[in-house]
Amino acid sequence: MSDLLRAPAEVKYAEELDWLESADDGHRPFSWRLSPRMIRTFVLGSERSDGLEREIPQKWFGDRSIVERAIVTLASDRGLLLIGDPGTGKSWLAELLSAAICRNSTLVVQGTAGTTEDHIKYSWNVSMVIAKGQSRESLIPSPIMTAMERGVVGRFEELTRSTSDVQDALISILSEKYVSIPELSDGNGDNIVFAKPGFSVIATANSRDRGVNDLSSALKRRFNFVRIPMVASKNSEAEIVRFRTTELLRRHQIELDVPPTLLDVLLQSFADLRAAAASASSDDERLESSLSTAEQIGVLEDAILHSQFFGDRALRAETLAGSMVGSLARRSPEDLAILNKFWHGVVEPRSKQDEDGPWKGFLEGGREAIAKLS
Amino acid sequence: MFPLPVLRAGPHAAYPMNPFAALREQLLDAAGAFAEGPDGLSGILAGMVDDVDRALHEELEIFPVCHHSPSSALAMARRLREKRPKVVYLELCEDLGPLLGELRNCRLPVALQAFATELDGFPAEWAPLSVIAPVTEASAEYQAIAYALETPGVELVPVDRSSDHVFQWQPRRRGEEAPESDVPGTPRASGASATSEEEAALHGDSVGVELGDLRPRFAELERYLLHHGKVRHWSEWWDQYVEQPLSGADYDTYRQVMVMVGSLFRRLRRDGDEGRDEERERHMWTRMREHLAASGTDPSDCLYVCGAFHAASRVEQFGLAATASHEIEPRTKTRWQYGLIPSSHSAIEAQFGLAPGSVSIAAATWSKALKHTGVKPFRLKNHKSARGRAGQEALDVSVPPVSTPQHRGPALPEETHRQAGQTAAAPPANGPHEGPVKTGRAAPGTEAQVGADERVRPSALPESVDDRLSGFLAEPPAQNVLDEGELLGWCVDIVRLARRNGYQASTADAIAVFETSVLLANMRNRRRPTPYDFQDAAVTCIEKDTVPGRRDVARLCEILLGGDRIGQVGYESLPPLARDVLDRLEPLGLNLQARTIQRALMDLKTRPELAPCSDLLWILHRLLPKGTVRPIMGSRELGERSIQESWDLALGRDQRALVELGYEGVTVEQVLEQRLRRAVRHPQATASTALAAVEDAIRFLPGRRLPDELGVRAVELLAAERDVDDAPEVLRRIRRLLTHHRAAEPALPRWCEEFVTTGYAHYCTLLPTAFTDDAGGVRQVAAMLGFLFGMEGLALSLGCDHTQLELAVRQSHPESPAKVALLWAARSRLGLLPQDELRALCDGLLDNPFSIEAFPHYLNGFIHALDPVPTLTPFVVELLSKAFGRLPDAVLLPWLPKLITTLRAGSGGLLPTLVREADRTFPAALPALDAWTPPWERRRPARREPRAPATPAAALLSAHPAPCDAIAALLGHDPVWQTPAPSPAGGPEEVTALLARHPETAAAIAALGK
Repeated sequence: MSDLLRAPAEVKYAEELDWLESADDGHRPFSWRLSPRMIRTFVLGSERSDGLEREIPQKWFGDRSIVERAIVTLASDRGLLLIGDPGTGKSWLAELLSAAICRNSTLVVQGTAGTTEDHIKYSWNVSMVIAKGQSRESLIPSPIMTAMERGVVGRFEELTRSTSDVQDALISILSEKYVSIPELSDGNGDNIVFAKPGFSVIATANSRDRGVNDLSSALKRRFNFVRIPMVASKNSEAEIVRFRTTELLRRHQIELDVPPTLLDVLLQSFADLRAAAASASSDDERLESSLSTAEQIGVLEDAILHSQFFGDRALRAETLAGSMVGSLARRSPEDLAILNKFWHGVVEPRSKQDEDGPWKGFLEGGREAIAKLS
Repeated sequence: MFPLPVLRAGPHAAYPMNPFAALREQLLDAAGAFAEGPDGLSGILAGMVDDVDRALHEELEIFPVCHHSPSSALAMARRLREKRPKVVYLELCEDLGPLLGELRNCRLPVALQAFATELDGFPAEWAPLSVIAPVTEASAEYQAIAYALETPGVELVPVDRSSDHVFQWQPRRRGEEAPESDVPGTPRASGASATSEEEAALHGDSVGVELGDLRPRFAELERYLLHHGKVRHWSEWWDQYVEQPLSGADYDTYRQVMVMVGSLFRRLRRDGDEGRDEERERHMWTRMREHLAASGTDPSDCLYVCGAFHAASRVEQFGLAATASHEIEPRTKTRWQYGLIPSSHSAIEAQFGLAPGSVSIAAATWSKALKHTGVKPFRLKNHKSARGRAGQEALDVSVPPVSTPQHRGPALPEETHRQAGQTAAAPPANGPHEGPVKTGRAAPGTEAQVGADERVRPSALPESVDDRLSGFLAEPPAQNVLDEGELLGWCVDIVRLARRNGYQASTADAIAVFETSVLLANMRNRRRPTPYDFQDAAVTCIEKDTVPGRRDVARLCEILLGGDRIGQVGYESLPPLARDVLDRLEPLGLNLQARTIQRALMDLKTRPELAPCSDLLWILHRLLPKGTVRPIMGSRELGERSIQESWDLALGRDQRALVELGYEGVTVEQVLEQRLRRAVRHPQATASTALAAVEDAIRFLPGRRLPDELGVRAVELLAAERDVDDAPEVLRRIRRLLTHHRAAEPALPRWCEEFVTTGYAHYCTLLPTAFTDDAGGVRQVAAMLGFLFGMEGLALSLGCDHTQLELAVRQSHPESPAKVALLWAARSRLGLLPQDELRALCDGLLDNPFSIEAFPHYLNGFIHALDPVPTLTPFVVELLSKAFGRLPDAVLLPWLPKLITTLRAGSGGLLPTLVREADRTFPAALPALDAWTPPWERRRPARREPRAPATPAAALLSAHPAPCDAIAALLGHDPVWQTPAPSPAGGPEEVTALLARHPETAAAIAALGK
């Protein structure tokens, strides 16, 4: 067990990656550690038909073609932009791909309103510059620049949160594949950092941020867009929630069972709320939350932690309802009104139909939580 | 030799030298090694081999096919040329057979349709019933049809259950949705773009039947196959694992593999799921046996074309040697009509749950395969072109690849051309009839006939069968090598297409798509990128965050890889009504068969000969779905005729609507008449629907007969009505009709007079109830009053009694404020309530704190009363003004939206009337407002005594008062004399001024007197 709170994928699955590398006899592009097919197996898990000696668990749940398109893009000349609603697993997929390709998923630039060009290219160690002048020693390379130097994958999270001029700094990196450092003299070639084979960029963008800092056409051309859809299948969603929750429980070292009926209640409630959001005509009739799978995991985690520390160490429908209301009610009164309507119009009839099931407790817990917040 | 392990006594036992024994054993060993129990897997695997064995040893040659499979079509074309069967049995609804000849006149894809509106034996709510069987060119069945219809002496016999049975075997409970497709477990394709949705709707809500349905019978199996095949759609799976390996296979391998796949899906299905399929198989085998017995054809001259699924059938009627009988259920008495409707690739995909673009891709693959293999396909020749181009074609025909040295069967069409120099004309379609489709027999003495008579009859047993399955299953399929040229072409074209659709794609994208396609194909274990790989690559490289135009890249790929082809039913195959419509619209000079929208411009003044076209278009506008025939300029209301009209016509695009209209009658006028009659005879019909029908009859059809007949029905319906819900509509329509008749005709039709008198009595009777009944709204009561007051003059002249109305009003005692206000208005109209009293009542309401909240309701009633009692308009303006002035905000503000909606609902006349009246009442300019006093608040001048006019008589009486005084005293009055008004000296001022200005005339008259 690692002593990191959250180990990056290459650490967490190090042993599995080692094994895959040893078993991989496919062609590996550039300096990749695994062949594209093996990367797909690492991300999506193995089948018996793959003929591997050990089972590789599935780590990202979604359409196979999305993963294939993403891997193939990284093997080509273009950057990969994963775009989708919040909580659809973009960053997780980016991390897994980086870990599988180059065993390093930590070269990450986080795009924010405060991100500057320095974060993408390089900055200077000011005290060293004062002491010794500008040199490669006093230069602090950005994660992207480090990725170029090493020929590995660099990541850019939330690309569309950073301003357009910062985004456009990526254009030359993605097309010319080098960064020039005009501050240094060109005597010994120190003033240009060339990317080594294997360098690529995986960026993620939130489709809800559209219009905040739109990408320029030039940058769009240098990225292949892969849209990650919201998980539509209830089975896949249950699988994801179960997978992530187990991981969280392990991380918190909690021994607690999630009853399948409660998981069903959670999934069904989210599915109903999504359907209601899809048919709503204005933003006021829609919850602010994107109702993504990650939100569900968040709700479940909250309920589990609550039960563990303040409850009787068993997950109850009331607690789950309380967590759900707590997580989803962000705006008052709009969100509360929607939740109130949902509890009144959907949960209540269900609890009447299923008197012995968990819906009754879910109804009461939700009502209580809404009453407290109102 | 060890005995073969026999798990089940299969039919292989009948063939001692079983060619599949080795494979069977191998599979059983494998089953033993992998499966835990002895039964499941081994039963399935051995059963598959048994099924293949049985199907291939059947005396009647079975040709297994899969729908939209180019390799099936190729194998069929090859086999037909080689075998030249004399009878082709086809898995197609037997009653659709007669339509097949009509395919000559169509541009494929089209769908054969059976349609029924008058049901007998099915629940009425199922109507209309519609079954469609789409036919595409890249299909095995089309090859079989074209061969049979173009080759003299060949008989085509559809043997599947009839359209009637499709519904008989489709048990539905009341209220259940109509079945979407005959294919179980086929969800509708998702992700279809908006454009394709429109095209996908070509089939309407028909039930689809198709030949060669071959798909896993339950969703889990399909999901499993897709998952492990690492593909997304069933079409992709089929293409990769069956279609491509079979594309170059020989006939034996093809048959064996197809039956095996059919058998696999047959065996892997839920229990109790086979009922309908088996019923169909029993039907087909029974029909074939019947036909063989009746015609005496040698089974070896026949070919049975069916889905691979049915080739692996295990019903007891399977095979000509079987003796089990089967009784075919009789059809219901439902009257079926038959025709062809246009179809499209996307419509077929949507109907049968295929992946978007799969049928288009199959069509493209078929064309390519024809080019590569050199197989000459069979094609139906158009009547016209067959006649005109026969000589030319005879020269163009290449020698078909006939592998059999002996000329066994009937002469192929090309050969007939070569020898006879002309095509065999197909019999003209005489409308649907039962039984096999027979092509024209070759004339005695022609080579076709000689060949048929003299050919050596082969033995009844099929030719020896070799095991081709083992090889097929053991070896990996030969991979197609990368066709670089083709892929490059696709990449360049998709970029071009994307640019045209608003994408900023460039050559760099074409390169990226190429590279990505190859990489994706490699990743998916293929050397040659399939169209699906290419589509994925194009989406990855070109699609960005938004779709700039109407179509996204995936859709563009579909267009590129074949495009959606939309069929068209040729003129000759259209029903009489549709042909009649096209003929009658010919003076417009438009290509109405084109799929684009045609604009018709008609100046009826300069070209009066177009008036019949205009009449027809208005009827079509009334009958066809919205958008098919759309007037842009011009209207046809009662008594109106436009001088100029312009129309958008989409008859070519919406051919189905026109074809289905053709099922209802022979001319559009007849259909309209029928529909109008049906509408007024419907159990739910009301007086207003009948009046609407009268209006339509007057607007669209010539003559008085039908409107009068419908009008009489309207009177009956009105008299029978027990509620007044429709009163506003009835009032609106009868008013319009009366106005029309008064303007256009010398006298009112008899039914109109009856309607008014009946309505007067009817509404008088219902008025008291309507006033008190909560169900009847204010609008309804207002409309009743409108009828009674508005038509009163006419009604009284026709013998009605006014006291009836007065009595009805007196008997009315409403409680709700709005209706009370209506009653007051009615009483005021009848003179039972003077306006001063009415004003006092209303002021009382405003002054009373208990009733003030209800005041808006009263006002609402008065606003509704504007229509029946228009004289109240000034009073309503007064009330509105008072309401705005005196109602507290808490009452006024919530009422305002209702006021607006009320005024808008009566948009016809209420608002302009009120505005006009307000304009008269209120000052026009703001400064005048300060000094303005509402007319109802002005002090009334004291009643003026009548003043004696200043006439010569008055002057005389005044000068001699004695006689008048005497008469007054006699009558007991005290006489008081007024001073007569001074007589103006020279008449009115204007006259005086005029005379002063022009004294000549007066002077001349004065001079006359002198």
